[in-house]
Amino acid sequence: MSKLEKWNEKIWNFFASVDLAVALFIVISIGAAIGTVIPQQAEPEATIRFFSKFLSIANATKAYEIVSLLDLNNLYHSWWFTFLLFMFALNLIVCSIDRLPNLLKSYKALPQPLPFQILEKMPIRKDLKIDKENMPDKIMEIFKNRGFATNLFQTPEGMQIQAKKWSKTRLAVYLTHLSILIILSGALVGTFFGFRGHMNIVEGTGLDFAISDEGKAIPLNFQVICDRFEVEYYENSAIPKAYRSYLRILENGQAVKFNGKETKVVEVNEPFSYKGITFYQASYGFQPAEHAEFRFTYFDSGGKEIPIKAKFEEKVKIPGKSVTVSVIDFSPALGIDEHGRLFNMTTDMINPAVLVVFEEGEKRTERWILKKIPDTWETPYGKLRFDELWGAQFTGLQVRKDPGVPLIYIGSIFLCVGLFISLFLRPINYFVTINKDNISFYSPSLKGKFIIEKQLEEIINRLKGEKI
Amino acid sequence: MSYQIIAIAGLLYILAMPLYIVYMLTKNNKLGYLATGILASGALIHVYGFIRRFMEMYAINHSFMRSIPITNLYESLVFFVLCLIVGYLFIEWKYKKKSFGVFVSIIAGIIIGLTELLGVSKEVQPLVPALKSNWLLAHVTLSFIAYAAFAISFITGLLHIIMSSESKKSFKYILSTTLLGLMVFIFISMIIDIITAGNPKSVKIFHSTLGNPSVPISIISWISMIALILISWKWSEIIIKIFKGLKIDSNFLEDITYKGIAFGFPIFTIGGLVFGAIWADQAWGRYWGWDPKETWSLITWFVYAFYLHAKFIRGWQGSKTSVIAVIGFIVTIFTYLGVNLFLSGLHSYGSM
Repeated sequence: MSKLEKWNEKIWNFFASVDLAVALFIVISIGAAIGTVIPQQAEPEATIRFFSKFLSIANATKAYEIVSLLDLNNLYHSWWFTFLLFMFALNLIVCSIDRLPNLLKSYKALPQPLPFQILEKMPIRKDLKIDKENMPDKIMEIFKNRGFATNLFQTPEGMQIQAKKWSKTRLAVYLTHLSILIILSGALVGTFFGFRGHMNIVEGTGLDFAISDEGKAIPLNFQVICDRFEVEYYENSAIPKAYRSYLRILENGQAVKFNGKETKVVEVNEPFSYKGITFYQASYGFQPAEHAEFRFTYFDSGGKEIPIKAKFEEKVKIPGKSVTVSVIDFSPALGIDEHGRLFNMTTDMINPAVLVVFEEGEKRTERWILKKIPDTWETPYGKLRFDELWGAQFTGLQVRKDPGVPLIYIGSIFLCVGLFISLFLRPINYFVTINKDNISFYSPSLKGKFIIEKQLEEIINRLKGEKI
Repeated sequence: MSYQIIAIAGLLYILAMPLYIVYMLTKNNKLGYLATGILASGALIHVYGFIRRFMEMYAINHSFMRSIPITNLYESLVFFVLCLIVGYLFIEWKYKKKSFGVFVSIIAGIIIGLTELLGVSKEVQPLVPALKSNWLLAHVTLSFIAYAAFAISFITGLLHIIMSSESKKSFKYILSTTLLGLMVFIFISMIIDIITAGNPKSVKIFHSTLGNPSVPISIISWISMIALILISWKWSEIIIKIFKGLKIDSNFLEDITYKGIAFGFPIFTIGGLVFGAIWADQAWGRYWGWDPKETWSLITWFVYAFYLHAKFIRGWQGSKTSVIAVIGFIVTIFTYLGVNLFLSGLHSYGSM
């Protein structure tokens, strides 16, 4: 063998070895674990702040240098972690190429009797003495009744019976390995041909681009308009029940219709896709826009409901009265502290309230109107319900295009099928030697030794039962 | 209320523990049946409590798929214990061996105790929008069934190492006896915590022992913890003797360790990783995002993949593989609780 061939073989064996697989399991695990501790995709200051919790400032700065050298603050996308994953894939491929042909060959090969020395080394062995005619046939019948394929051989040491069941399930391991490769390739497809980004759309406005995770603008070729965003709360509680965005798509100035409707509602766990791009409800926030307006419903003396809209501090006439109303303060979550003073709890619209002032000539009346407390709607000038502040919140949408997802799904299915077969349906092999009245049972299986011994006991009992 | 019913189940689990011990010492079969009976009746009450809680959730959420009570730390711990006990009872019935019942009841007792001690919220809460998905049932249920299977392989793995260790200075032996001593200490300490607390709502873990405001008591606790570990290290041969007396060979323990992993690993893969990825894909727009919970699930997966490869390809046998099973469960605990307590991420149900 030439030197080159020797090296080739060495390298091949290195990539085909389980030792490499196990080493990669350990190294990838440790690497991934580090990434859960050190802040990822954080600003340098955040990383230094993290280290200064248990190091001096000078050392924390040094630690940051190491972190940025090894990309530890962007660990999962660093060159060395990618390299490890690549090695993992290579290991899987080489390993399968190395072993699979032999396995396939073994299915095609004619069965051969095993030498006695190999049988002797098997972990499971049961001996018994039965003196009866036609033992091989009886043993083979019992095995056949249990779904085994059997072979009978004549050897120098006597008869040898081989019983096999589910031997094809060995292939499932390779299905499992293949599935991991499919998943990894799906991830690659997603990285190269997809994108991830987000867009924050203020109520009543639209955007035709998303911001990628790297901070670049991604044009969408259509416009996404958010007509409305709302947070629904459970009754009498600050626990959110649903986050909801009412979206419309404008393409070339035309509204796109989905099942005859223009509006699409996006909620958490209920994304919406258009032209391969999917929108997910991810976040929201308080950000009053120029066009923000307070919306009221006025109940006139006849009980008719009249909508009223007003911008901040804009005086609006109450229908049928010579009174104007204007909003001079707003609180998204009005609470009352122990001294009876009003305060604002958060910027979430848990309990929105407005301070309005009614003006009738010189007479001014101030009053808080709370959306969720009907008592506060009654004013000296009639019932005025505060409905919402529109145009003051933005919806945060996660935007994604990932053509690799089908591969991920296919890989996942293979992974599950492969694992279930290889762990629940094990190949079972028995070897029986018959030498006059000495019968020995052997099994090479290490998996589920206990069950195999139990099964063997049953088979032997059947055999003995026939004797009686 | 459902949590009171579950607390009764927890008490029965704790009650079963001394019975299992006495059974192992005396080999009195009647006591053995009694121990199993109490554990099983605990499980029945537990199932009843679980169904009650399911109905309480249903009354709020009006959806069968979304009413499975595994939506916060308390509920998940309770479900984990239920899976553990049911799994153990199944093994006991199938193999007719009560050998590790005492350790299962210790762990079950510790966990139900923990829910009392950590002051975890036990009220039925409405689902937050992120959890409103039909994947909730499949993802969370299967994950915890897998965790319970890993827990069983942890217990048998631990005992297997202790039983098959020849040298007391070997790393395997020290590791497993230390863990055993710690488990017993936490168990005793929690019982003292509950007994000494005036108000059941103000109980705090280790408040009566390690974290006692009185310095002498705290020191005594630390000493007794170390003493318990030393005792467990020094006299684990008693366990070995009892086990040998009960005709439990280490092969049985090794086999159960493997079974736990062979069952748990595919369940964990499908329920934890695959269903988790599908759900993440629908809720957050990415199937994998290196969130701490995801990352640690992957690490758990790698550890058990290591176990399977070491066992079948490298042909590792005996306590060597059990060490991996023990480490695997320590990683699992971190994935389950540690990630929520120490790292920030998206799986927020663990917050208290």
